[in-house]
Amino acid sequence: MQVELKIKHKGLILVAVPLLFELVFLAVLSGLLRQADYKTWQEMHSKTVVYESSALSRLFHDAGIAMGGYALTKSPLFRERFDSIVSSIPREFKHLQKLVGRNSSQKGSLKRLETYTNSGLHLLSTARDAIEIGGEGVSRVRSLYSEMKGVSKNISTELDNLTAESRKIEEDGPNARKQSDQMVRVFLAIGVLFNIGLAFVLSYFFSNGITKRLFILTDNANRLARAEQLSDPIKGTDEIAHLDAVFHNMADALAEASRKERAIVENAADVICSIDADNKFTKISPACKKLWGYEPSELIGTRYLNLVISDDVEETAIATRALRKGQHTASFETRTYRKDRSIVTVLWSAFWSPTENSMFCVAHDITERKLIEEALKESERRVRSIIENTLVSLIVIDRFGMIELVNPQTEKSFGYPAEAVLDQNIGILFPQFMSAEDNFIEELFAQASGRIADLEMMRADGELFPVEFSLSQLETNEGTRFIANILDVSERQEFEKLKREFVSTVSHELRTPLTSIRGSLTLLNTGMLGNLNEKGERMVSIAERNTIRLINLINDILDVERLASGRVEMQFDNTEVSSIIERSVESVRSFADQHSVKLEVGDLRPLTRVYADGDRIIQVVINLLSNAVKFSPKDSTVTLNIKEETEWVELQVIDRGRGIPEKYKALVFERFQQVEVSDAKRKGGTGLGLAICKGIIEQHKGSIGVESEEGKGSTFWFRLPKAPQGEAVMA
Amino acid sequence: MKILIIDDEEDIRYVCGSSLELIGGVDVFEADGGHQGINLAASEKPDAILLDMIMPDMDGAATITALKKNPETASIPVIFLTTRTLSLDFARMKSLGAAGWIVKPFDPMTITDQIKEIINK
Repeated sequence: MQVELKIKHKGLILVAVPLLFELVFLAVLSGLLRQADYKTWQEMHSKTVVYESSALSRLFHDAGIAMGGYALTKSPLFRERFDSIVSSIPREFKHLQKLVGRNSSQKGSLKRLETYTNSGLHLLSTARDAIEIGGEGVSRVRSLYSEMKGVSKNISTELDNLTAESRKIEEDGPNARKQSDQMVRVFLAIGVLFNIGLAFVLSYFFSNGITKRLFILTDNANRLARAEQLSDPIKGTDEIAHLDAVFHNMADALAEASRKERAIVENAADVICSIDADNKFTKISPACKKLWGYEPSELIGTRYLNLVISDDVEETAIATRALRKGQHTASFETRTYRKDRSIVTVLWSAFWSPTENSMFCVAHDITERKLIEEALKESERRVRSIIENTLVSLIVIDRFGMIELVNPQTEKSFGYPAEAVLDQNIGILFPQFMSAEDNFIEELFAQASGRIADLEMMRADGELFPVEFSLSQLETNEGTRFIANILDVSERQEFEKLKREFVSTVSHELRTPLTSIRGSLTLLNTGMLGNLNEKGERMVSIAERNTIRLINLINDILDVERLASGRVEMQFDNTEVSSIIERSVESVRSFADQHSVKLEVGDLRPLTRVYADGDRIIQVVINLLSNAVKFSPKDSTVTLNIKEETEWVELQVIDRGRGIPEKYKALVFERFQQVEVSDAKRKGGTGLGLAICKGIIEQHKGSIGVESEEGKGSTFWFRLPKAPQGEAVMA
Repeated sequence: MKILIIDDEEDIRYVCGSSLELIGGVDVFEADGGHQGINLAASEKPDAILLDMIMPDMDGAATITALKKNPETASIPVIFLTTRTLSLDFARMKSLGAAGWIVKPFDPMTITDQIKEIINK
């Protein structure tokens, strides 16, 4: 099993193992030295013990000699000598006892020696007393001396026993010291050798575990820098392995980033390329095929300026030079040729790398954008031209009414130069404006926002003139603004007035003589003024009929003109449909009878109401019914149906006449349109009836139409909004 | 029944008068302008006055105003006989105190009935 350690653990081992070994080595060495010291001390001690034993033995010997001398001479010198020796014997014994007292094996010998010593001392004391007595005592001394010899011998024997070990130690001392020294030397040699071995082992351990790994790591770092494949990951869990894993992750990430970058470059819609100092493509993305029609291989090695059209070459070259001289990044537009010689406008975003002596570019096709920009510019020119040439005064104001912009027509209409009104309140162009503080502007916004208000404005010279004034909101970068559209309608109003007067005059001037003619002819036709002959009656009838036709034409023309100009004032009210139908049918009934046509009314809900001008709707229904009768074959039926829905009511006039050809359906509601030119003559009518009907229905916010099949009849219909429920009803 | 026609157009007065007399059977008085009409109205006390709107010197508006101011003629219904057909015109006639209006050209056969209908409304 391989133990995986971190570097710090390995470092710890590197320090701890030799240290531990040194400690053990020192401890053992210290033990050996202490052992040698002990042996030396033991040798010295043994020598002392032997010496002291000899001394004790010598004392007894000397005491015996002194006692003999004293016994022989009675000399006080021997006595003193004797006393002195005897007195030192216990001291000497105690000293010896102290020296060997620690050794338990010698305690028995020591005890016996003590007994023999005390016996010896007693014998010596007894002998001294015997000598002091003299006489027989001397013979006693002799026997005591013999006893003394025995005791002395015992003491010598015990001393020999006691000092036998010491003597052995003393004898063995040099050998033991030598042995000990040798052991120390051997141990030192082993220790040094082991230390060297350990150093080699640990070095190998580190070399194998760290240095080699560091080498791999360095190599991987270099490979990473060169974007080369890395060696296999270093095994283990230590910091180096971890760092190596980081390098591998970095390498993977870089490879991934590189793959993505390559994918981006290869799939980018824009061309990505590098261009060297000679302006030649060194690398180029596949998008060049789409942009210029060339494969990358066709462009690499060619000068990019070859693509640029001759008019733009100089400008492009200047931009490139500026880039290289220190600008570093730049964007410039050039027109370039495609392979098929069509022109494509390109926006170059370029970066100059001095270290690589290359230009890195992104070329973006802006042909479409340029076209749009051109179109926008053209559109702007057009709009500007319209604004500047329109006959409508346009004034841009803020929400407080302060004027920010005026068009030339404003200057013309109001007689102010632009600078005189800019930053002024638009209120100065109105007669009733007093100050910006009053609520005039607020009311103006309420009145004219999103709709046309008929107002009176004031020119610089104080002249008042009528305008159609509307405000439309405009969102700008600077916030909400409003455009005041001001149309000077003084001329139009004047024209309208003249037209009204003309119509009125014509109407009056035509009606007045027609009144006399019609009245005269009618009265003549009654026979009350005298009888005419048959031809005369016929002539008068023709004259009367055509006068009525002329009157109807004038009435229709007036109606159409008024409907077209929106001057017909409708009297809107909630009106019952049944009432409209009854009155209309009643009006047309005799006409229908004359044509032998039957009028039929479908089911009718009495309470159905419409919000309408009853008289005008009756005019429409009469017109439709009259038309239906006119174009129906004899003995046929004209049906008036009512269809009711939630929001509206539809009235249908159905005839069984000749129908309307498809191509005329859209035209029948136009003025002076009849299916056949002869209809006006054969059927009467002005060709304005349906146009009037359409005008009336549209004024009611309704709709009108026809469905028809040639040869089978027609259905004219119109729809009107239903009246709100619960309102008063006008019959 | 007496009806006063005030119109500057002689032809109209004649045709209208004839229609009223022959078809309607009414007594007709004629005046060629406002001043004469006011005097005739005061003296003859007609049942209704047919008044033209557009006349020289004194127009229909001035004439009706004068008629309405005079207590003797104030109650006589005044019917405008007019070529004007705008709602605006009718509104003005109403505001002047007209009982109604008949648009020219009128139908001689029905004009008497129209007058009666207006008076009786």
